[in-house]
Formats: sequence, structure tokens, C-alpha cells
Amino acid sequence: MSFAQIVALLATGAGYTVLVTLACIATGLLTGLGIALLGRLRLRGLGWLLRAYTYVFRGVPVLALLFLVFFGLPGIGFNVPPLLAMMLSLGLVTGAYLAEVFRGAFEAVDPNEIMAAEAMGMRRRQILLAIEMPQMLRFSVPGMLNEFTTVLKYSPFAYTVGLPDIMKQAMALSATTLRGLEIYLAVGLLYFAIYKSLQFLVRGIERYFYVPGFTRL
Amino acid sequence: MALLEVSGLVKEFDGKPVLNGVDLSLEEGQVKVIMGPSGCGKSTLLRCINRLVEPTSGRILFRGEDVTRPDTDVRALRQRIGFVFQHFALYRHLSALDNIKLGLRKLRRMSDAEATDRACHELRRMDMEEHRDKYPAQLSGGQKQRVAIARALAMDPAVLFFDEPTSALDPRMAREVVALINQLFMDNVTMLCVTHDVFLARYISDRILFLDHGQVRAEGDVEQLLDAHDDPQIRAFFGPGTRAR
Repeated sequence: MSFAQIVALLATGAGYTVLVTLACIATGLLTGLGIALLGRLRLRGLGWLLRAYTYVFRGVPVLALLFLVFFGLPGIGFNVPPLLAMMLSLGLVTGAYLAEVFRGAFEAVDPNEIMAAEAMGMRRRQILLAIEMPQMLRFSVPGMLNEFTTVLKYSPFAYTVGLPDIMKQAMALSATTLRGLEIYLAVGLLYFAIYKSLQFLVRGIERYFYVPGFTRL
Repeated sequence: MALLEVSGLVKEFDGKPVLNGVDLSLEEGQVKVIMGPSGCGKSTLLRCINRLVEPTSGRILFRGEDVTRPDTDVRALRQRIGFVFQHFALYRHLSALDNIKLGLRKLRRMSDAEATDRACHELRRMDMEEHRDKYPAQLSGGQKQRVAIARALAMDPAVLFFDEPTSALDPRMAREVVALINQLFMDNVTMLCVTHDVFLARYISDRILFLDHGQVRAEGDVEQLLDAHDDPQIRAFFGPGTRAR
């Protein structure tokens, strides 16, 4: 079996790796944005809950959380499918980290612009969506790309719950051929290719929304 | 009836009075300049009138309506007051055109085409239409202030508030903006302007109000206040040579 054949065989799991990564990124983005936006609105009585979420989910190991969801919840009657288990563990942990990235980026929005919008008579929600969020997302790109990369690198945990991703394919192939060196080298190359594609996509979005001279003050 | 009547306005921060019983009235079409040393409460006064800062006590009548009442529609009040800030406060992620359109779309509920027409009209008025697609970082200070004025005017306010409109500009740009504000004065736009700029005050105003330690220390026309006033503190503020300008 040539190196190219090994890569081709492993690539059959790449679809699952991409699926898990994108599903967890989407979960993370939704929860992270939700937490950051709610935090920004400073709703009374909610602050402690949001802080507790980020505190807990940033402190728990992803694998422990994944096993808790996938192997623990069936014990009380909840059977969680593997992809959903990944989203409820890696996705929610990512959400907690992204919420912090977004919180920091919100702080970089010029308070004078917010005051100008208030002086114009805009509602808090309008200001948040039309002024603060578009700026915050632009400031967040480097932090988001870091988090997305982390999600990709944690995605091999999917094999522990039975998803046939690249890692699962590699372990099966390695067990039958005993050519671990070439197989795991091919795994590294595949992950690198996915990482570069992800980076290319994010940079493309960043270029599309580029505003001349727009930097942190 | 005056457009704006402020009486006994007090604002305290942590028990310390910044405004200490300010009285002020502004007629339709009038331009009034508020001057005074740094920290005397000038900007706080403007912010209290449009309720960006909550007054501690006192009364503000806007076209006869008491806008300090708890049931006042603060957002509606703010939409009737155009505000131009010292540091322009343009939305940095939006082009000059979109800076103006935002309020028209969100608050006036105009269609995109209507908002564009209105924004272009205001940009033309400010001689800025050719820069409509530029972002704030691509504009000079004077150009930014023109866009900020256009943004305020587009909302068709009853009065324009200026908070030190020339203090972040170099002298040449400041003169440009002064000429522009003077044009608004000629167009009968009601304005209340906080400034340290004696040149601006002389050029645009028929009345100057001198604020000191949160109180109106004097009010009069330009000649009365800038030229050898009886009050030594006011003379000291404006300094010698003011008359010569």
C-alpha cells in the first residue's frame, strides 16, 4: 500500500472530521455570541449565570465532559447520539472560550460611538446589533481563528464515541497494517490541510468585511 | 415660547455638584454659546438636556413640555436634538453615507432609497458628497466633523448641540468647521454650542453664557462678555487681546 493510498483511505474519515469540527464551531459560535450579547446587555440577575457558565465550561476537560454526556446521560434515560455529544461537550466548551473572546472585543468598541447612537435616540438593542456587534466580530477574528483551530485539534475525541473520523480510520488501518509511522504522518497532513482550508475560509470572510483603517483604538 | 427652557438644573456626581442651579433659555432660530473653564459642567449640561445624563433636580422644558418627568419618552426627545461631538464619534465600520443612513433607516424607518437620497442631500450640503463611500479612517478631522454634522442634520432635529466641535481640529480645519456652523446660523438652524474657541463664539453666536463651577456666572452678547467684562474672573478667562481678534 503506497502513501497516497493510505492518504486516500484516511480521507474517507475527513468528512466526519470536518462535520464534527463545523458542528462544534457552530455550537460554540451560537453559545459564545449568546453569552456575550446577554452579558453586554447587562440584564439584572443574569450576570452570575453567564459568569458561572464560562467559569465551569472553561475549567472542565473536554474528554471528561464528552464521556459524561455520552456515557453518563444514558444512565438517567437520555441517549445522546455521538455528534450531539460532541456538540454538547466540545461545542459548549468552545462557546465558553469564544464568549470571552467576544467580551474582550466588545470592550474595544469606542464608547463615544455608543454614546453618539444613544444621543440619536437608538434603542440599546439597535445599538448592540448595528454598531457594537459588527465591530466586535471584526475585532474577534484572530481569537476566533485560534478557537476554531483548537476545535479541529480536539475533534479526534469523536472516535472515542464511535464516529468514523480520520483518527478512527487511522487506528483501524494501523491495527491491520502495522505501518503507524506513515499512517499517522498522513493523519497529520490531512489535519493540516483541513486547518489551512479553515484558515483560508476565515481570512476570506475577513477580507470581505474589511474596513480601511479599522483597528482597535 | 422658547424652544428650550432650563431652570434650576442640578447634577451631582457622588454628592458633588457639577451643575448647581443652571438657568438657560433658547429661542427657535437662536444660537447660544456656552463657555467656561474646563470642568465647569458645560458638556454635562448638554448631556442633561437630552437625558444622556440624568439630572439630579431642576426642570427642562422642550417646546413647553417638561422632559424631566419620569414618563418622558427619552428616545423621542433625543431624536429632536442633533448632537455633534468633539471627537466626531462616527461609526468606524460604516462609510460616510452609511453613517448618515443608519439613523434614517432605524429611527425614521425610511426605505434604503429614501435614506440614500436624504443622506446624499446632507452630504452635498456639507460639500462631502464625493467622499460618500469613504470610511472615517480615510477622512481628515474636518471632513469627519462635516459628516458628523450631516448625520445630525439628516434627522431633521429641532436644535443642534455642539460639544466642542473644533477642539480636536487643527486651526485650518477648525476655520472650515466654523464657516460651516456659521452657514447653519445663516440658515436659521437653532444651535447650542459648548466651546473654548473664542473665534468660533464670535463668529456664530448672538449670545454667550459663561458657566463657572456649575453656575451661570454671566450671560450677554458677544461684545459684552468678550470685551472687558466687569467680572475679573471672566476677564481672566478670555484674557487680553480677545477684542483684537
